[in-house]
Amino acid sequence: MNTARRPDLLDPYEVAQLGGVELVAEGVVEGVLAGLHRSPFRGFSVEFAEHRPYQPGDELRYLDWKMLARSDRLVVKQYEEETNLRAMIVLDASRSMDWVGGERRLTKLEYAKRLGAALALVLLRQRDATGFVGFDERVRSVVPARSRRRQWWTLAAAVAALAPGGGTAAEPALYRVTDLLRRRGLVLFISDLLLDPKLALLALRYLRHRGHQVIVFHIMDPAELTLEGQPEARFEDPESGAGVVARPRELRAAYTETVRRSIREWRAACRSGGIAYHHVLTDTPFGFVLRQAATRRTRRG
Amino acid sequence: MIAFLQPLALLGLAVAALPTVLHLLTRRVPPTVTFPAVRYLAETERQQSRRLKLRHLLLLLLRTALLASVVLAAARPVVRVGLGGAHAPTALVLVLDNSVSSGAVVEGRRVVDLLAARARAILQRVDEGDRLWLMQADGLPRALTPAEAIALLDGLEPSPRRLDLGRAVRAAAGVVASQALPGREVVVLSDLQRSAFSSGDPVTTRVLAWAPGVTPENRSLDSARAEPPVWSLSGQVVAAVGGVRRSPVALRLSMGGRDVARAVAYPGDRAALPVRVGRPGWLALRVSLDPDELRADDDWFLAARVAEPARAAADAGAGRYVADALAVLQEGGRVGRGRTVVLADRLAGTRSIVVPPADQAAIGALNRALAARGVAWRFGDRLDGEWRVGADGGAADGATVRRRYRLLGSGAVLARANDDPWLVRHQDVVVLGSRLEDGWTDLPVTAGFVPFLDLLINRIAAGETRSMGAHPGDVVGLPANVEEVLTAAGPQPVAGDRRINAPWEPAVYFLRAVGGDTVGALEVNHDPRESRLAPADAQVLRAAVGPGAELLSDGALDRELFGGAKRADLSGALLLAALLAAALEFVVASVGAKTGRGRA
Repeated sequence: MNTARRPDLLDPYEVAQLGGVELVAEGVVEGVLAGLHRSPFRGFSVEFAEHRPYQPGDELRYLDWKMLARSDRLVVKQYEEETNLRAMIVLDASRSMDWVGGERRLTKLEYAKRLGAALALVLLRQRDATGFVGFDERVRSVVPARSRRRQWWTLAAAVAALAPGGGTAAEPALYRVTDLLRRRGLVLFISDLLLDPKLALLALRYLRHRGHQVIVFHIMDPAELTLEGQPEARFEDPESGAGVVARPRELRAAYTETVRRSIREWRAACRSGGIAYHHVLTDTPFGFVLRQAATRRTRRG
Repeated sequence: MIAFLQPLALLGLAVAALPTVLHLLTRRVPPTVTFPAVRYLAETERQQSRRLKLRHLLLLLLRTALLASVVLAAARPVVRVGLGGAHAPTALVLVLDNSVSSGAVVEGRRVVDLLAARARAILQRVDEGDRLWLMQADGLPRALTPAEAIALLDGLEPSPRRLDLGRAVRAAAGVVASQALPGREVVVLSDLQRSAFSSGDPVTTRVLAWAPGVTPENRSLDSARAEPPVWSLSGQVVAAVGGVRRSPVALRLSMGGRDVARAVAYPGDRAALPVRVGRPGWLALRVSLDPDELRADDDWFLAARVAEPARAAADAGAGRYVADALAVLQEGGRVGRGRTVVLADRLAGTRSIVVPPADQAAIGALNRALAARGVAWRFGDRLDGEWRVGADGGAADGATVRRRYRLLGSGAVLARANDDPWLVRHQDVVVLGSRLEDGWTDLPVTAGFVPFLDLLINRIAAGETRSMGAHPGDVVGLPANVEEVLTAAGPQPVAGDRRINAPWEPAVYFLRAVGGDTVGALEVNHDPRESRLAPADAQVLRAAVGPGAELLSDGALDRELFGGAKRADLSGALLLAALLAAALEFVVASVGAKTGRGRA
């Protein structure tokens, strides 16, 4: 396959020009799955449930070799959780996400919506029940986790309809997830993390405490990594309206160091809490992010 | 103590405020940019604010220091290095201005005495290694020892001469410049009259000037002259009074120690003092003011010559107006009867006043007669029009001329019709361009006609006087027939080149020819510029002498004297400081920018 034409490897902005959230997600997921030889997100339980006939695409390591030896039939072992994995995609739609730092780039929200949709499609493809929670300072949109055929369209519609909101408060959304995921499941938290870190980490650790796997996608525009612009400007927070007058030339280095330190702190805090953390720039092709997340998750699983 | 050689440049210090002013002027509300990651920026700003404030303050200080250093360097600051009584060997010219104005009395003491006291204080500080010259009002630098100079000061009196301080300082600077000593100074002790400074090449030598500081109010006689120059039975002296126009002053005209006329005039005006005299000869006259703080300019000496009334006759061709006026003068005794002077439309054999003939055809013959007599003037074309007569104080001044002959030639022009010669003289012949009739000029029908004729006849008859004006000590060229000058010490013979130095004592000195005949007078008087006592300020001093001149007070003169060899020019150090400030500014500014870019 010509990689230059694969949507999962294209520039996110160019991919977004191809169509809506659903189309982009399908194109990206097709590419990702074609490049993988097994399902990226798997249940982690070892509790055996039943045998089923082998189908092309199933991992060979789940073949029941003993059954093959005894009956000469290709069957794979299925586990309880694998068939009943429940995942929730928690997406930040606050006003700070509705920002883009340069031309030919997606806003953080548009990027996050397409990434969330792609993640949902991957999960649904392997028949995992997948749900969605959109939030700003409150919970804005909820789609309970299902694995039925129409769930993809329901999810895609909910994601596409999510408009930028006001402030950011992740805790209500994360605590709401605990209601929606009664059993241990997977929580995919997509946000620019411009929120109260202590409260957010507390909620994320609570999810871990409840036995859920948690993956954090820290979305950031490349223009937030460094400070550019006019010789002097008043930089205003779109959510709180708070402003800082600064000269980028004077503060550029120190600012970059502050951002990097913040990323390091998030990564360390997540690692110490057993939470997977991915720092994602909005010019990164979706396929890279999906593959990176899948690789780590497989390594964990 | 720091002094500045170019203090006007200090005005540029305002430039040093430029960075601050620019900072304030360019302060504005910056544009607002939406930026979600403000929390990172706020945290960064909190951490960096102290460093940034320090950097901004440092840059402001460096830029201000840079500009201030450049401006201060342009002002040429100099500072004394080392203290104490000893000084480097110095070539010193002491200019002691004992000119006429130094006789003024200030607070009960003469200026010359104040200058001498100051000079003594300076002389006491002259060391053995120094070289000293003393220059007085004669403008000649004399090399002296301090003891000789102090002895000279003991008998110092105001000189009747004027001292050009500009020229004196330049001469003094030339003297010290030729000396191979570390220190070179010119010290000027003077009342520093503004009128005493002539401009010239600026001197580079250090010039220290000191003045008593108090200027008295002065009134003076600036000039006086006899009008007419030759008197017949009477005449007048016209005197000009100078000084501050505050109150009138009384003038006295004396002759042989006896007052003969009095007048009152305001300073700035002229006063006429009429005199009647009985017998012909030369008169020595003296105009005096009441005494004031400067006595030397309260008298003016002048000479007048008295002659017998001329004997004159008028031919019929001169016109009836001339005949009538001459009759009036003869009746009044101003003119005698006779033919010493003849007024006619032809050239007489004696002294003649020639008017053009009524018949234009006779002009050719008259021109030929003038040529034969050796007169340098001729009658040219006859012109009709309207011209105004201009003459120096003559009675014809302002008269209107409607017809005249153009006068061609060369010689003394006594009056002009507009710009053309109208009344001319050569030898003992006076030629008029117009007939003295009402069709030619309105002069005969004016009140000035008779005085005009009186002056004309007597002037022709008596000839010109030989009165010469001079200031004490001036070099004067005497007429060829003068053999001796009559002074108070007796007759002084005149050398072959006929050039003498005018006597120092203001007075009238008569000039004698062979046989003892008095042929003229030398009027020696003070220079009126010495009466202008308004002092020069530092700016005038520098403009006339050079940028190195300093006007000092008592204490400052004591400090600065002999300081030239111990002075350091700070301009170089300040320029170095400016360079250092510029380098530091560059480093601070670029380091800030580099840290801003480098890690991004």
